[in-house]
Amino acid sequence: MKILIADDSRVMRQIVVRTLRQAGFGDHDLIEAADGQEAFDKTTSEQPDLVISDWNMPQMTGIEVLRQLRAAGNSVKFGFVTSECTPEMKTAAEASGSAFFIVKPFTAERFDEVFAPILG
Amino acid sequence: MSVEVEVDENDLAEMVEQVWEAYLDPEGVSPLMQTYDENQPSEVHSSVSITGSWSGHIVYSSSRAAAQRAAAAFLAMELDEVSEEDISDTLGELANIVGGNVKAMLPPGAQLSLPQVVLAPESSARYPNTERISGVYGLWEGEPVSISMWQSSTDTKEEGA
Repeated sequence: MKILIADDSRVMRQIVVRTLRQAGFGDHDLIEAADGQEAFDKTTSEQPDLVISDWNMPQMTGIEVLRQLRAAGNSVKFGFVTSECTPEMKTAAEASGSAFFIVKPFTAERFDEVFAPILG
Repeated sequence: MSVEVEVDENDLAEMVEQVWEAYLDPEGVSPLMQTYDENQPSEVHSSVSITGSWSGHIVYSSSRAAAQRAAAAFLAMELDEVSEEDISDTLGELANIVGGNVKAMLPPGAQLSLPQVVLAPESSARYPNTERISGVYGLWEGEPVSISMWQSSTDTKEEGA
């Protein structure tokens, strides 16, 4: 599977990659995006099977990326890894078709719990 | 109308503990030891601003050595491999994580900014018209680290109005 990791923080992208490996999902094809626009563009051009996105990013926020993808007819499996988790954000994410919501700081156990059903 | 902030030292301490457990001290061998000294020195700091239902800043500050150690832990690198950019990114992410968690405890309608990183002491920064309302101050392997919350005084005024 191809997985796109979108986060404007380079260290957080590395932590997500490392945690995916620790949780046993390191053999997937991992690609990265450094802001919302890049996340949208790469999702369109590279057609990943899964997008793991930050919420608060320059250019476009994660939820804007998800909404624009859905508006464009793209149904990629998409979810959030974010330090912000308010009830209204979770509701907005679910309403837009988000598949998961992981709160930073996260652990490999949490990744396993969320991604095992998706990545097998 | 402004609201009473219900994020206190204990909440901040709990967030700090989670960050240490997840990224900075996964083995549980070097926790942040609280000193309760709000005047401890810093050499670098980062912050995020929150506006809306509550307005203010969350500031992470530490010595350079502690920031370097944090970057090494974040990136699973040796201390001497850590670059200036690694330190800067790590500090920004630390402010972002704590700020995001604080925001989650505030009433709906708060907005979180992108993090700002300044490789200079916290005392060099001025957060105009703000007041420090809580903080966690400690030593991490002997190096000072603090996380504090600064509330905008416009909020305070409104509360008194």
